[in-house]
Amino acid sequence: MKQSFQFSLNSCCAAHSGLNRVMCVSAAAGVCSSSVEKKIYVELNETVPCVRLLNATHQIGCQSSMSGDTGVLHVLESESDLDWILSSGPHPPYIVIMETAFFNRSVMMRMKSSSRVAGVAVIVSKTGLADNFSPHTTCPNQNTGVYSASYGSDLANCNVTVWNPLGNGLSYEDFAFPVFALKDENQTQVIRKCYEDHNLRVNGSTPQYPLCAMQLFSHMHAVTDTVTCMRRTDLQNRFSINPEVLCDPLSDFNVWTSTRPLNSSAKGHAANESVVLAATRLDGRSFFWEQAPAAEGTVSGIVTLLAAIQALSPVTQEAPPPRNIFFTFFQGEAFDYIGSSKMVYDMEKNDFVIDLNNVHSMLEIGQVGLRSGQSLWMHSDPVSRKNDSVNEEVLDLMRRMQSAAAGLNVSLGHPLFTQPLPPSSLQRFLRARPIPGLVLADHQTLFNNRSPYYESMYDDAENLNVTYPPDLNPDEQLVYETDAAKSLAEVATLVARSLYLQAGGEEKSLSNITADPKIVSHVTNTHTRTHSRTHTRTHTHTHSVTHSRSLTHTHTHTHTHTHSLTHAHSLSHTLSHTLSLTHTLTHTHSRTHTHTHLLTHTHSHTHSHTHSHSHTHSHTLTHMLTLGVGVAVLLLSLLVTYFISSKAELLFSSACETPTTAY
Amino acid sequence: MNLERIPNEEKLGLSRRYYLGGFAFLPFLWLVNVLWFFREAFLKPTYTEQPQIKSYVKKSALGLIVWVAVLTTWITIFQHFRAQWGEVGDYLSFTIPLGTA
Repeated sequence: MKQSFQFSLNSCCAAHSGLNRVMCVSAAAGVCSSSVEKKIYVELNETVPCVRLLNATHQIGCQSSMSGDTGVLHVLESESDLDWILSSGPHPPYIVIMETAFFNRSVMMRMKSSSRVAGVAVIVSKTGLADNFSPHTTCPNQNTGVYSASYGSDLANCNVTVWNPLGNGLSYEDFAFPVFALKDENQTQVIRKCYEDHNLRVNGSTPQYPLCAMQLFSHMHAVTDTVTCMRRTDLQNRFSINPEVLCDPLSDFNVWTSTRPLNSSAKGHAANESVVLAATRLDGRSFFWEQAPAAEGTVSGIVTLLAAIQALSPVTQEAPPPRNIFFTFFQGEAFDYIGSSKMVYDMEKNDFVIDLNNVHSMLEIGQVGLRSGQSLWMHSDPVSRKNDSVNEEVLDLMRRMQSAAAGLNVSLGHPLFTQPLPPSSLQRFLRARPIPGLVLADHQTLFNNRSPYYESMYDDAENLNVTYPPDLNPDEQLVYETDAAKSLAEVATLVARSLYLQAGGEEKSLSNITADPKIVSHVTNTHTRTHSRTHTRTHTHTHSVTHSRSLTHTHTHTHTHTHSLTHAHSLSHTLSHTLSLTHTLTHTHSRTHTHTHLLTHTHSHTHSHTHSHSHTHSHTLTHMLTLGVGVAVLLLSLLVTYFISSKAELLFSSACETPTTAY
Repeated sequence: MNLERIPNEEKLGLSRRYYLGGFAFLPFLWLVNVLWFFREAFLKPTYTEQPQIKSYVKKSALGLIVWVAVLTTWITIFQHFRAQWGEVGDYLSFTIPLGTA
């Protein structure tokens, strides 16, 4: 017995020293783990995810798992690749690297319904880009415009004119896997090389482990719809120790100004004010997060209106017209007219400097960047024009625009009387009041000939024909007068003169109203550059000396799924008027639900999103091994415990101890 | 604690305390009662207090089975239907998972 006892002691010591060694190794591993991670994973930087958005009833966008989605890489280059991924490949799930040409509805919907796709990474490039690509819906904002069952029912739901017929609606689908955009060409090459080295099929043989894999991580917190999400955020704030924010409402600011100053603190009807409203939108969107250059869709309108404001400022000082001209830039129009509906709402509730009775007429600048043959089209609403007085006003406005176009390189046309208004902020005003108004656009009917990349990330400077001679450096490019800018300057002059006439100004002053192509070029070049934000900031400092007003701006909320243009900065060096910002939340949120408006659009919060690729060994092998080792350790420990327990008296009582007797 | 060295009356007292304590919504006390006194109640040769200990163990086992059934049913229903219950489900939850329904 003694011998066995000592033997067991020795074995304990051995085990103990063994344990120490194990700990040392793991401690060392802990210190060096970051470099080990670097050997396994390659982190990818220039990537943009698609995020989740919610409205009152649905969720759209993409979602990844809480710890990221990992899958074996496969590059999609042909139809047979797609079949491999969806049915015959032996190592699902796959992360699909997609060329631009394959990023269309049919491919994405096939992958959406498959469980073998863990994620998608789209290579963003112009090569292989189709002639048109618009992830927006075919009939933008069809339920929140003016046309409905009770107003122009035959015109509703794009029955007469489909504005974006080539839109594939991808932005409004709900994907259960992450979708990323790869923007850096060098990193894309690295990925391709990894794929070619390890994953490529050679002569029909399937590749074996180890394979190249990728992990996409873009976990979204919000789910179901806005109501659920805001409720859960409330519950978190009230009862949780570490409240997590689940989603933010889409909110930002509208920007407005006027030729005659209005007292911004006075709310409600402004006495003796008859106002001509000049409006345009300020936002754009695309499938991916904050990748919406919106050059033709939005920037053309902004630039035109800014230039018109600048052209009008000297004349409205010297020979002020009887009516006030009220310029406004609406934010969030892509999402059911957030900005314009808020302004109309405020006007109706007497919570704005003017109200709807002050509005005489409205001119909206739509997409005006790509005129073909110098023609622009004046869109109007046929339903309100059935009323004679409104019709007279609209015809007057059109006449004034025609006379303003005299001598300019612009020819104005009017589409068919029966054609409804395109999606525009004017529709929200018409919902409240039959205001005579026009929407100026470069398209007669549908967008796609003029704007083939409507609300997509490809609607960039090149789409607007903003091109520079090749030998200019970036600073020279900023002040270069492109043809696109000259064209927009023409349109701006037209708009300024029309507004002046509409406001009751004299014909004789018209020739003094001209938009300065230099300013137009500068603003266009700034807004169509991808890094326009940082550049405009530095410019504001140099120009603030020459111009009197500085701004109170900027958005405190940047939780917008839009291209946050530094509109206010550029405005500061073209205007000498005070600008005002009105906050636009997506309608008001009321807990007591007495309002008819409810918070509708929100976007999901997320922790940082990352993207990394690695080699991976077979999943089943490692899992089985781990499970097997675990079970073996369990059984071993049970066995050891049993043996020790049954020999307890032997092991734990010394020779001379008198066992206590229990009775 | 080693039951070998305890007089029988103390064993009875222990079993009774565990049995009564389990009524305070503490089914684990019943579980312990069953496991700990099983050998005493059923496998040991008879002694005076054994029938009572046996009855306590049986009643604890019964209570335990009822609790397990109720909890299993509720947990299954809750996990399955919480997402569909919308507002009610959220108010019943202590932690709501992020990003999934």
